[in-house]
Amino acid sequence: MKHFLLKIEPIVWLLFGQGILIGTMLLTGWILVVGLAVPLGIVAPDALAYERAHALASNPVGRLLLAALCALPLWKGAHHLRSLSIDFNGGGRDAAVASALYLIAALGSVLAIVAVVRL
Amino acid sequence: MARDAHPQAMQPHEPGRTRTAPPKMPAQFPFAGNYRSYILFDATGLVYLLAGLVALRVVWALGTGPEAWARVQAQLSHPLYVLFHLVALAAVCFVAVRFFRLFPKAQPPRIGPAKPPPAPVILAGLYGAWIGLTLLLVAILSGGLFG
Repeated sequence: MKHFLLKIEPIVWLLFGQGILIGTMLLTGWILVVGLAVPLGIVAPDALAYERAHALASNPVGRLLLAALCALPLWKGAHHLRSLSIDFNGGGRDAAVASALYLIAALGSVLAIVAVVRL
Repeated sequence: MARDAHPQAMQPHEPGRTRTAPPKMPAQFPFAGNYRSYILFDATGLVYLLAGLVALRVVWALGTGPEAWARVQAQLSHPLYVLFHLVALAAVCFVAVRFFRLFPKAQPPRIGPAKPPPAPVILAGLYGAWIGLTLLLVAILSGGLFG
């Protein structure tokens, strides 16, 4: 498993780096409106009425951005949690921790692609 | 007093001829000095992982239909979700500021004939892209654009 983890390291690092850069850039606006402004009533709920939200999300640019928004933060999260585990004497359990975290990120990424395809 | 590090933390691939002292964790690890910010940066991984899963749940509901969309909108108004998103907002801002500060230092001296631009230009580009994209997304999602 350690050999496999080393082999996929370049791909994981690419997704991790994009998770920090693109994930951060997309998450900020998303959290501000979808996570805070609409639930707190700062923005009228009509802004995210189903028809409007679906029209925004289902065009090609919307699908691409939403796939990146869902998938990339998972890789940033998985790799940083692995790093945190190693820092706290987790060298011995690294193969199991890394496998579990990357599996969550990979499954989430597949589901993100399915989610935007079915819009 | 520094505590013992993991015994294999610095183990070479094969035994060397020079005897070395067993590794020790730095005295300030994990929550003092520069380590505080370092550990916090890693710990934002949990927030990003959860934020990605919440976003996935919202997009999935949008693809399911109007009833599922209304349900997930109502759930996002729950105080725990609002609290999570406040923490997530603080986390993404912290990650952005810390990562952007490191970004110019992580550039190679040159790629072929090209040298990277000066650090202030890189920083202006990163902050400009982040703030610009955030404002654009806020305008679109809140109905100010394409309403």
